[in-house]
Amino acid sequence: MQRLLPAACLAFCWMAALSLAAQDLQVPATVRAGSAFTIPTSGSGSATFYLIGPASRTKRQVQMGQEIQVKPQEVRSAGRYLAIVRSGGTNRSVSFYVLAAAPASLSFLAHPSRIPVAQRGGIIGVTFVFDKWHNLVRQPENVDFRLAVNGGPPASQTVRSRDGVAWLRMNSGSKAGNAKFVATLRGIEETRVIQQVAADPCHLQIKAERNAKGVLVETAPVRDCSGNPVSDGTVVTFTANGAGGLSTVDVPIKKDIAQAELKIPGPATISVASGVVMGNEVKVGGQQ
Amino acid sequence: MKQSTGPCVVQGGSDTRLRVICALAAVLAFSLGSFAASAPSVQFDTSHIGPRQMEEITGRNIPRDWGRAWQTMAVALDHNRPDLLGRYFTGFAQQKLKAAIAAQQRSGLRTRYIDHGHKLAAYFYSPDGSAIELHDNADLEIQVLDGNDLVHSERVTLHYIGLMTPAADHWEVRLLQSVPSF
Amino acid sequence: MKLAVLLVLATIAFLILGFVFPVHQASTPGIVSGEALPGVGGTGNTPEAAVRSLLGDVQAHDWSQAYSLLANANDVDKEAFIHDINGNYGSLRTFSSLEGSGTRVLNQSGDQALVRADMHWSTAVGPIYEVRELRVVQQGGNWKVVWPLEKQATVPPQVVPVNYLRWDVIYRGARDDWGTQNVDSPQVRIVSMNAVQHGNTLVVVGEVVNEDTVPAFVDMNAILVGKNGQDLDQENSFDKIQHTLLPKQVSPYRIDFPGFNLSQVKSVRMDAKAMLVPASADPVIAVLDQHEQENVLGNKVLSGNLLNESGRTVNIAQVLATYYDSNGKVIWVSDGYVDRALLPQTPEPFAVEMPDNTVGKVQSYRVTVNHYIRQQS
Repeated sequence: MQRLLPAACLAFCWMAALSLAAQDLQVPATVRAGSAFTIPTSGSGSATFYLIGPASRTKRQVQMGQEIQVKPQEVRSAGRYLAIVRSGGTNRSVSFYVLAAAPASLSFLAHPSRIPVAQRGGIIGVTFVFDKWHNLVRQPENVDFRLAVNGGPPASQTVRSRDGVAWLRMNSGSKAGNAKFVATLRGIEETRVIQQVAADPCHLQIKAERNAKGVLVETAPVRDCSGNPVSDGTVVTFTANGAGGLSTVDVPIKKDIAQAELKIPGPATISVASGVVMGNEVKVGGQQ
Repeated sequence: MKQSTGPCVVQGGSDTRLRVICALAAVLAFSLGSFAASAPSVQFDTSHIGPRQMEEITGRNIPRDWGRAWQTMAVALDHNRPDLLGRYFTGFAQQKLKAAIAAQQRSGLRTRYIDHGHKLAAYFYSPDGSAIELHDNADLEIQVLDGNDLVHSERVTLHYIGLMTPAADHWEVRLLQSVPSF
Repeated sequence: MKLAVLLVLATIAFLILGFVFPVHQASTPGIVSGEALPGVGGTGNTPEAAVRSLLGDVQAHDWSQAYSLLANANDVDKEAFIHDINGNYGSLRTFSSLEGSGTRVLNQSGDQALVRADMHWSTAVGPIYEVRELRVVQQGGNWKVVWPLEKQATVPPQVVPVNYLRWDVIYRGARDDWGTQNVDSPQVRIVSMNAVQHGNTLVVVGEVVNEDTVPAFVDMNAILVGKNGQDLDQENSFDKIQHTLLPKQVSPYRIDFPGFNLSQVKSVRMDAKAMLVPASADPVIAVLDQHEQENVLGNKVLSGNLLNESGRTVNIAQVLATYYDSNGKVIWVSDGYVDRALLPQTPEPFAVEMPDNTVGKVQSYRVTVNHYIRQQS
């Protein structure tokens, strides 16, 4: 016990000295990304300074007793940094956090790129707020979202970001067309395009008339229930059931109308469908 | 992550016991290195996730890929191997780690992470499933080496914000940012 | 020395056995009786021999020799005969070769006979079986074949205006521009799915629709889940689907699981994978005069005519037939390739087999067409 006590005292003193030495290195309470600052030192002679950051490693000789200049480019990445000064076999270190700078960019995820009109909550916008060094800005910020189709009234909403993320759901409008979906924060603007497309055809109607070659069958302008013309290229299936059997043809809509000439000589019943939507039926007589 | 074995020289060859001890030490060091190189344990909590609920398979893949990302990062920083970062890191997270390794190579430094596990919590899962923000409490031992000299060593619990996005068959870390607190 | 003596004795013993017990009518293994062999075509002393000889020459691509065996050479142009057999316009037949054939005399009286030729073609999309009934007549002491040339209509020169839509896609670049919008994959939906047993094969049939406003390249996958929840097998629709679907287009699909039985299966997990692809709405192919009938072998088939309404030749066409029961449920999907090219504005007949287990259950059917067009420079 008598031998242990002095040893313990020595260890305590040594640790206290080390602790004091560590306290020697002092950094600002908060450091903003990309901003210079200084670390004061005491003592004399040369030392090696290390700065270990998320995206950087610095090693250089410094003079003890003088301030260590930390350059802006050495602290661009937000996160935890370790500053170590090594002098004469003694290491003094301090850790500190660099926080993100002011918002400078938005990562704007807009989904989907196409959506049928009049879908409730179908459009999703998610923004992540970053500073100019691509650090996530955790401080709450107001992000404005705006969705507008040419000629239609815009819908807008403001969302406060939490931990760097702001998100919302919006309804698609009733008018087909390319909608501009814009996210704005302090003058930073990101735009995405959401293609609002017509929904399924509504009241699919056909008319048929016999000519010299067969039967010309044609739809009325194909529109969805909101009155938007169904996209060109949408397939419409005509089916003719006659004495010779069944005849079918898949025809794409062109300029709102699908049209086909069915080479069937006898009388037939002609029906129409697009996807899972059925239309009317018409009967045509045989060739004279 | 390999442990430094240090010199173990046997002179004369007569002392068999010393040889055995050296061999055992080498085996121990190797096995420690291998252990450190395996993926760390990750406890995953999805109880506070929103707005999208996490699918079962995603709930399995996220901690798996987070652990693998940390494992590859530790090896890459210890051995200055930026090529290892390609699979589990992407975007700015990958660029920043590559910049750190490039700086290490220039200055002759290495950083060693001895990973004692993660308590990971899903914070935000985007409604379209294209991004997950995570909060991680990482129990780490960090060593800074200048050549073979240990400059700094500490055991700390650090808080990280992570952002993961899906790749073809796994999730990638797009952001890894340590923060003072959540 | 002993071995040499043994071998000589054994050879003598086998020779004696051969003379004492001759093997009559032994057939060559692997070759069906009555099958033509390339280069073995002799003059036709019988109607069957004449047909076999002709098919042997076809198999050997000896067109001149085959042509010399025709009874109606005056009516059939040699080039037309070669095109009829060997295909043209980049049709499936041009990628085929006669692998084997069988013949059977259906009737014979005097100097006329009717011979059925079963031809087995090896093609780029798998084997195709063709049956032709050939009239054979005796001319100058030899039997010769009257070739039933199916004349291809010639299309009069004309301009066919084609102004259907075409979709091109610009994808996001390889640069890691996260957050930059990409174009979404098309939305497709499985409309129906039905698992049926067909012999020792479990078959999953159904329909899938492209609900989007852009074309989709669709592939269907199915996983059989066993009674204990374990995955038994995974298969895809391969070519039993119309892969490229235009907006609102519906395609049947069929996925075969050979060697599996419905009783082994608890459920089937379906997955429709859709990719955004460039596509064209052209050509439009009408399917006319669809009706059930029996083919020359007495099998039930669904036949009709394909009409290529565009101005471009469709090199290879595949017919997919969907059969529905009285409740509108898909009960079977069959397919068949048309080995002739679809010339513009020209009807081309097709027939696809209806399996026995669907006969009597089929209430309605729908035929769709897959097409392949050779890229023109």
